[in-house]
Amino acid sequence: MLRRNVRLRREYLYRKSLEGKERLLYEKKRKIKQALEEGKPIPTELRNEDAALRQEIDLEDERTAVPRSTIDDEYANATESDPKILLTTSHDPSAPLKQFVKELKFVFPNSQRMNRGGQVISEIVETCRAHDFTDLILVYEHRGVPDKIVISHLPFGPTAYFQILNVVTRHDNKDKKEMGTVSEAYPHLILNNFSTKIGERTANILKHLFPVPKPDSKRIITFANQSDYVSFRHHVYRQSGGSKSVDLKEVGPRFELRLYQIKLGTVDQDEAQTEWVLRSFMNTSKKQKVLGE
Amino acid sequence: MAATNPAGVEALHRLKLTEPPMYLTPSPELANAARTASEHLFALLKPYTPKSPFDRLLVDEKFDAEQIWQQIDLQSQPLISAICRQVNKFEKDPKELKGIFKSSESEQEKRSEFVMEREEEEEEDEDSEDEDDVEEKDHEIKEGEREIKEGGFFDEKEFYDDEAIDYGLTKWKQGLEDDEDDELGILELAGEEDNSDAEKIKYDDFYTSNKKHDQNKKSKVNKEVEDTEMSDEEENEGSDVEDDEDSDEDVDQEDEGFADDLASDEEAMKDNLSTHEKQLLEQRAKIEQVEKESLDVKAWTMQGEVNATKRPKNSALEVDLDWERNAKPPPVITEEVSQSIEELIMKRISEGHFDDVQRVDRLPSKAPREMKELDENQSKKGLGELYADEYAQKTGLVSQALSFSDEQKKEATVLFKKLCLKLDALSHFHFTPKPVIEDMSIQTNVPALAMEEIAPLVVSDAAMLAPEEVFSGKGDIKEEAELTQEDRKRRRASKKRKFKAENAKKAAKKPRENKQTAGDGEDNTPSSEP
Repeated sequence: MLRRNVRLRREYLYRKSLEGKERLLYEKKRKIKQALEEGKPIPTELRNEDAALRQEIDLEDERTAVPRSTIDDEYANATESDPKILLTTSHDPSAPLKQFVKELKFVFPNSQRMNRGGQVISEIVETCRAHDFTDLILVYEHRGVPDKIVISHLPFGPTAYFQILNVVTRHDNKDKKEMGTVSEAYPHLILNNFSTKIGERTANILKHLFPVPKPDSKRIITFANQSDYVSFRHHVYRQSGGSKSVDLKEVGPRFELRLYQIKLGTVDQDEAQTEWVLRSFMNTSKKQKVLGE
Repeated sequence: MAATNPAGVEALHRLKLTEPPMYLTPSPELANAARTASEHLFALLKPYTPKSPFDRLLVDEKFDAEQIWQQIDLQSQPLISAICRQVNKFEKDPKELKGIFKSSESEQEKRSEFVMEREEEEEEDEDSEDEDDVEEKDHEIKEGEREIKEGGFFDEKEFYDDEAIDYGLTKWKQGLEDDEDDELGILELAGEEDNSDAEKIKYDDFYTSNKKHDQNKKSKVNKEVEDTEMSDEEENEGSDVEDDEDSDEDVDQEDEGFADDLASDEEAMKDNLSTHEKQLLEQRAKIEQVEKESLDVKAWTMQGEVNATKRPKNSALEVDLDWERNAKPPPVITEEVSQSIEELIMKRISEGHFDDVQRVDRLPSKAPREMKELDENQSKKGLGELYADEYAQKTGLVSQALSFSDEQKKEATVLFKKLCLKLDALSHFHFTPKPVIEDMSIQTNVPALAMEEIAPLVVSDAAMLAPEEVFSGKGDIKEEAELTQEDRKRRRASKKRKFKAENAKKAAKKPRENKQTAGDGEDNTPSSEP
């Protein structure tokens, strides 16, 4: 297992190094394809390599035609099987935090909650690896109010650190009797306004926490970005009378997330490379819209 | 004096009385009036011009403005230079001035009136934009001159230039104050800069008299007073002239002047420095101030974390604690926000546009199993034919047409082996040598004759068996018929030897089997039989 991981990591690094060359090659192939389609003569600089490249073009399918970017390689095989999530908290959680984590367990399908006890982060990560978890989610708090969430993708994948704001839990709103049970169908996802590169990356991280849903699923989870604050909403809908009238019923907690760091390793690797980190002390930080718009 | 031409005077009056806007539109009456007036003035001044080519100003209808102007110019240029010379003369000899000024108070008033008049006329002048404009100015100068001649009290010194007169600079005023005790009070007034007057007004105009009077009081022998101070005094005096309050203000100014004595003394020293040196001085002063500030204890607002005990009482109320923060404030979730999010969700639902995870097909890593299809039709070949075909295949008499898939398979396997080699080289630490890909080709042990007959001509000889493969060289080479007597003997002898060796082995084997249970390591060498 360890060796496989090491090998996968090495492959990733090798592919990353080839990315530049691959891009050139892709460009050349694209030019040839274009010239062929338009019926124009092939550009002179490609004449020597034309025959070999043409052969390669013929052999390509949709998957190989596009040059691979190494950024989301951690999620390359993630779609093949459903994600398996482990939820934990910081040490010695308070009761409201425990409630919150319990609610989150219902939000993410195929997830399990674990008591933190006295475990160290590296131990937790090892257990995850041993039991083939794909993601690890840690929730931290401040005096009962959850204030930080860390989503770490496991084989060797990226870790995203979010700050939680404006939490409204299900426990706050209603009594136990009114709440009812949460639907556990695989939900549809709406990821709105993640337009920049980092936005796409975050969208990917959040997306791959959920499995592939059935097309007729009635449960919707929304991550809507508005000036770097991502609103999380969880609804169940009912379409009455054709596709015109849609009744939304809000279920589950609602909170705002603010991304402040993405690291390229797992949680226990603190010396991993940071892909992006929030710099709020700069003078232009007010104007910056990192995730979208 | 000049003969007062009534027509000319009347024309002048008329010009004076017309409204300034009237001058903007060309009117022949005004033009005529202007002409007569200029003629009149010219005649007035004629006696005083040393040499002029014209007896009178030629202002007929046929002469245009340019020509008239040039004539006037011819007259006035030498006149002006003469006046300047006279003024310079009076500069050097101010006592004459004094004599004139001491005459009467009423004259003062007259002068002030005249000065005011002049100012008014100047304003009129500036308003009008006619072609006669320039002539008007000229007239003014001449008027002033006329007044000089009429009054006889003014000196040309007064009329240095228009601006000086605007400020009400009048020599006679200066002269009055010279007599008073503290003239230096005026001198000490800190002046604002007004360098436009600088060129024509000179030090000596104002202070040569002072020098003579008050050398005892102050040691400012070679004080170079800036024109700024003079011009400031002019300003002050201008106001005085209008208001007719001379003494009071002057006294005030003098008092200030006393206090500022020393300061102006330093200023005088400063004035000896160049601008660069002055800049340096300023810089040094600034630096010293900043250094002093930084050495002091800072104000409590600048001291970092400050408790209530460390700052004065109620001081936090006075300080404005609001400053611009760089972070965006977290959003307040209002009804509207939630509403907008829900609308977005409903829109997406109705479109059916979700951002779900898409399941991607894995690349097939294993080749699809070859399904052997069973042909349900009756085989067309008979059983005997089938057997014949199989036999032919075995012996290799028939060169089998290799199926298409086999060819591809071969190629694929070879390629795959190469690929595997590369991947293994990447992922293993230890060296993996190149695999030997044997080219397998079936070589049947068929007599060459048969091959030559049946195989097509294209088949190369390389596929055939080599002599070693046919016969390796062990065994009896010679036939029975070929053997000589010694060979026969040798063969028999070797045969016997072999037979004996085998028998000895057999004999040794049997007792060894019996003794195995005992486990003795008895050395059982086969006893060689003789």
